[in-house]
Amino acid sequence: MTDKVEKPKLTRMEFLSLTMGRLAVSALGAVGMLGWLRRRKKNTVWQIDPMTCVSCGQCATHCVVSPSAVKCVQSYPICGYCRLCFGYFTPNAPELTSAAENQLCPTGAIERLFVEDPYWEYNIIEDACVGCAKCVEACEVFGNASFYLQVRHDVCVNCNDCSIARHCPSDSFSQVPADEPYILKHDQELLA
Amino acid sequence: MSNNPTIISRVIAGGVVFLACCFGLFRWWQSRPQVDLGLRLTDMVAETRAGTLGGGPVSTEVVDIEGTFVEFESAPMGESSPWPQFRGLNHDSISVGDVPLAEAWPEGGPPVLWGHDLGEGHAGAAIFKGRVFVMDYDEELGGDALRCFDLFDGREYWRRSYVAPTKRNHGVSRTVPAVSEKYTVAIGPRCFVMCVDTETGAYRWGIDMVKEYGTEVPLWYTGQCPVIKDGVAILAPVGAETLMMGVDCETGEVLWRTPNPGGWLMAHSSITPMKLLGINQYVYAAVGGILGVSAEPESVGELLWSSTVWTNSVTSPSPVAIEDDRIFVTAGYGGGSMMLGLKQEGDGIVISPLFELSKKVFGCEQQTPLYFKDHLYAILPKDASALRGQFVCLKTDGTINWTSGKDQRFGLGPFLVADDKILLLDDDGELTMMRASTEGYEQLARHAPLAGHDAWAPMAISDGLLVLRDSHHMICLDLRVGASNSGTKEQ
Repeated sequence: MTDKVEKPKLTRMEFLSLTMGRLAVSALGAVGMLGWLRRRKKNTVWQIDPMTCVSCGQCATHCVVSPSAVKCVQSYPICGYCRLCFGYFTPNAPELTSAAENQLCPTGAIERLFVEDPYWEYNIIEDACVGCAKCVEACEVFGNASFYLQVRHDVCVNCNDCSIARHCPSDSFSQVPADEPYILKHDQELLA
Repeated sequence: MSNNPTIISRVIAGGVVFLACCFGLFRWWQSRPQVDLGLRLTDMVAETRAGTLGGGPVSTEVVDIEGTFVEFESAPMGESSPWPQFRGLNHDSISVGDVPLAEAWPEGGPPVLWGHDLGEGHAGAAIFKGRVFVMDYDEELGGDALRCFDLFDGREYWRRSYVAPTKRNHGVSRTVPAVSEKYTVAIGPRCFVMCVDTETGAYRWGIDMVKEYGTEVPLWYTGQCPVIKDGVAILAPVGAETLMMGVDCETGEVLWRTPNPGGWLMAHSSITPMKLLGINQYVYAAVGGILGVSAEPESVGELLWSSTVWTNSVTSPSPVAIEDDRIFVTAGYGGGSMMLGLKQEGDGIVISPLFELSKKVFGCEQQTPLYFKDHLYAILPKDASALRGQFVCLKTDGTINWTSGKDQRFGLGPFLVADDKILLLDDDGELTMMRASTEGYEQLARHAPLAGHDAWAPMAISDGLLVLRDSHHMICLDLRVGASNSGTKEQ
């Protein structure tokens, strides 16, 4: 046989103050959570989805920043390091050298370095890149598609209504969380 | 004094235009380019290091092409319809066998008779007398390996390999051997040529085309597949002095050479024997131009005609003979296509373009188009705009007959004809069978027997047994009527 332990009974006043206190704490928590969520939603930046971008070239002409905040980036794990890079050379280039007449990039924004036979490395000089996507298109069509466009946030002024996004024909622009500001193609391919 | 309002308005308008021009000129003068532009010259340091400007370090590499030989099993040659070289018996990717193929495939796809892992690459198989020959790359050894398998059960009979380390550059292996009754000739990715006895694999001779003929190995390695004609190996080193040559398979002696006065370079395409204007000839599309060399016994090796109207920095498809007097050439990477016409004029042959097609109408990046029932067939490259990736049937006047449609797009993979059906392999190893018809695209069956990627190697078929591969794996499918799944023999 066990003895029953009687719980102390609450007075009405005690019950009311306890309930009110708990409600106040819950409300405070909810307000804090809402604020955090709202703040999180507000801290977004514009970015291009490289998997849907069609390299139309409008990023170069519709950005309010000049030259455009959109730059070509190179995915080294995807690049084939070819001697004949279709993103670097014009079609049927007279010679496979870095002379201007052979280069596809209008501003010479791609650096070509010899690694070892038969590999060459291609790096984007971002200060010179205007985001015209000529190299991106050629690399996509003929190569491994390691060149792609991204909004560079050290240049982008993060307009509320992005001018490029309004003109993007493939709806590749979206606002992404500021703490994950880039959509890296290599990660996308691994996910796929 | 008259106050003419017309003159006043003209003066005002002229002044406004003048001021606008001055303002525009001023703004132009004031403007600066968006980015700092400078001279862009050849990076001589990098090019010299790479040895691409000539005069670079001469390779001291000595490759023992005879290499090592391993015999796994011994058995007499069997019987099967021949697919003895690149694009089959008649260099047209059309099977000469008369075994009917099933119109549809069972659930789970056609039976896989056997499979083998291979070194990374795109080297296709040749089939001769019940045996499958592949010029593989042995990644463990670091060299090329000519391998001989049984067509029906996949047993490996022998393997001859030599050490020639080759770095992967969109894969390594590339070529299909040429097999005849007595000899098999294979070209490695870095232009080492090997001739062996077809049945036993016994070494006959080898040629280092880079060292002996000054061949410049094409970008991403050579795709040239050799030809054997009457016991003579036909090769195109496209070196400093020799563009094409015939080598006696028995002795390795060079029987004839065609000079290379234009300094042309080796392309990825292969020599194609043709009979044009009643003359047997070897046609080859190099980097620099296209030429025809006599294959007639009394004048073999003599240059019949050449032209620079067709040249691209990268040409993978081989020329295709159209009837007796035309050649169809095509290329990817923006090259488009061209129909060339040949005419006898006096003692010589004159070649000239009949029409050109833009890359948006017809082209093919890696495979040679099919010519079947007076029509050309190919998968259009990615830069073909609306037709990108579509399988297209072209009339020989350059007009499109039909396309597979926007819902049926393919990659860079191979295709061939057997039993009035076209078999087409997609990049990711998905095989499609369609009716070989000039009426339109009619798909019969589809299945993905390979799981890998870059399934670009030419396929080979013999008596309903299809040998195909992706970048790392080769299998044999049984496409015959009544074939049933009784288990795969993976080795």
